[in-house]
Amino acid sequence: MKRIASGRSEVALHELSSGAGPTLLALHALGGSSRDFAALAEHWPGRVLALDFAGHGDSDWARGGSYTPELHAADADTVLHESGEVCVAGAGLGAYVALLLAGVRPGLVRAALLLPGRGLEGGGPEPHRERAPEVRDVLQMLDASSARPRPAFDPMLRACETDPRPADYARAYADAARRLLLVEDGGARPPWWEAARAAACAEVASTDAADALRRLLEGSQAGPSAGRNRAP
Amino acid sequence: MDVSYPGAVAPARQRFVASLGLRLNLVEWGDPAAEPVLLTHGFYDHARSFDTFAPLLAERYRVLALDSRGHGDSDWPDAYSWLADVLDVVNVLRDLGRPAHLVGHSRGGGLATDAALLFPTAVRRLANLDGFGPPPEGFQAEGMRRYQGTIPELLAAFFDWRRANVARRSFRPSPSLDELAARRRQQNPRLSQEWLRYFASRGAREIEGGFVWKVDPYAARGFGPWRPEWIAPAWRGLAMPMLALWGDQPDTWGLPDPWRSERLAHVPVLETGVIAGAGHFMHIEKPAETAARVLDFLGRA
Repeated sequence: MKRIASGRSEVALHELSSGAGPTLLALHALGGSSRDFAALAEHWPGRVLALDFAGHGDSDWARGGSYTPELHAADADTVLHESGEVCVAGAGLGAYVALLLAGVRPGLVRAALLLPGRGLEGGGPEPHRERAPEVRDVLQMLDASSARPRPAFDPMLRACETDPRPADYARAYADAARRLLLVEDGGARPPWWEAARAAACAEVASTDAADALRRLLEGSQAGPSAGRNRAP
Repeated sequence: MDVSYPGAVAPARQRFVASLGLRLNLVEWGDPAAEPVLLTHGFYDHARSFDTFAPLLAERYRVLALDSRGHGDSDWPDAYSWLADVLDVVNVLRDLGRPAHLVGHSRGGGLATDAALLFPTAVRRLANLDGFGPPPEGFQAEGMRRYQGTIPELLAAFFDWRRANVARRSFRPSPSLDELAARRRQQNPRLSQEWLRYFASRGAREIEGGFVWKVDPYAARGFGPWRPEWIAPAWRGLAMPMLALWGDQPDTWGLPDPWRSERLAHVPVLETGVIAGAGHFMHIEKPAETAARVLDFLGRA
């Protein structure tokens, strides 16, 4: 594990496995950690890096309690800055962050595998800035954030339970991405997921995560795909 | 810094309130037993920007003004998000322990409105002074970043800016308060040099070789790539009346129609008022007229 300075704090990056071939960056779900990818890493021939998001695992909590998918993506982007080109696999919150990264850095993200999981499950069809949580949830969040001893992960992360953006926001990232593979397990899918799925570069993969990883790898080794907009 | 300004009254009391691991500066005027009114300032302003306005409300109320995180004498966070800023206002309301009126200017008007949405039982009435968000393409000020580019390009710009600037501890120093005030005046030409010198004397700190704003430079880029048109639909849920005030003079930092009317159309119980002869900073340009309008509105609670 190494800690990487990102923004004003540090995040933990774990190397779960190493090998020849493309690097996979794994992004866990809300409330999870890099450890969640231990089994999956065995199915990837190359190096597997797994990030603990801020407020989780071995990473710092954000002083002041600001957690948004964009800030998590900024931390993951710090990793990309060092690692170079990767494939990304993310679950739940991590899937949303993987989608943002794939759209922001198409030159560095060959393909993104989106897996179901906790975080960003909700979200509405209409635009709103921050989804107003129930007041009791807000009060619990405020109380828990000052609780001692502190809980396993920062309660302010509840802000990442729902998607505060309209679905066309997610679609803008999907349209800029090189390749998206979505694993669907039959559970409820949030509007942002449906929006990403409708992009030209998106395909639905098998529910078997190992099989989906194989497809991610095959597609990534096929060389540059023609026609997709790609950053230099 | 012995700088004074006509009508400006220093707060009678000051204390810190804890919120989400930060220490926030809270100042107040007026009878501590009176009904509370909480003031929230705009972007790059600070609690002491209410030094001429708050005393007028304090004739009838206990008036409190909060320094937003990253501003004035409040702590700087690791990162910014709108929700955390709103929860700071909620935390101050909880600390007061009794329902309060909220009066917010500009960005502070937006914070007050969203705090009233989250914690309606703690808010009696809400006055929003031209805090209805920027136009869809952003405020068209000289040298100001515009909302240009695709959504992913905007987030890329945020990542790059954050990597390059997050360690920066202050804006460029000015050799004197006068120069600092003059620099600010380029952004706010309607405000007098005399006022801005007073404003700077409370909003800047002295360092070797001059003065720097206390505000965190990172606060400028903390919102992420949100779109102004996402602001108002949630206002349909407001449980209390809103007074919306704006000035009748053109000002770079005010929200003009048609956007103002479109956004305010979401507010269930709305009262509007126009302050004649004022721009975006109506409470500074016309404190007596603005206070009279707000007092009339709050008095009908």
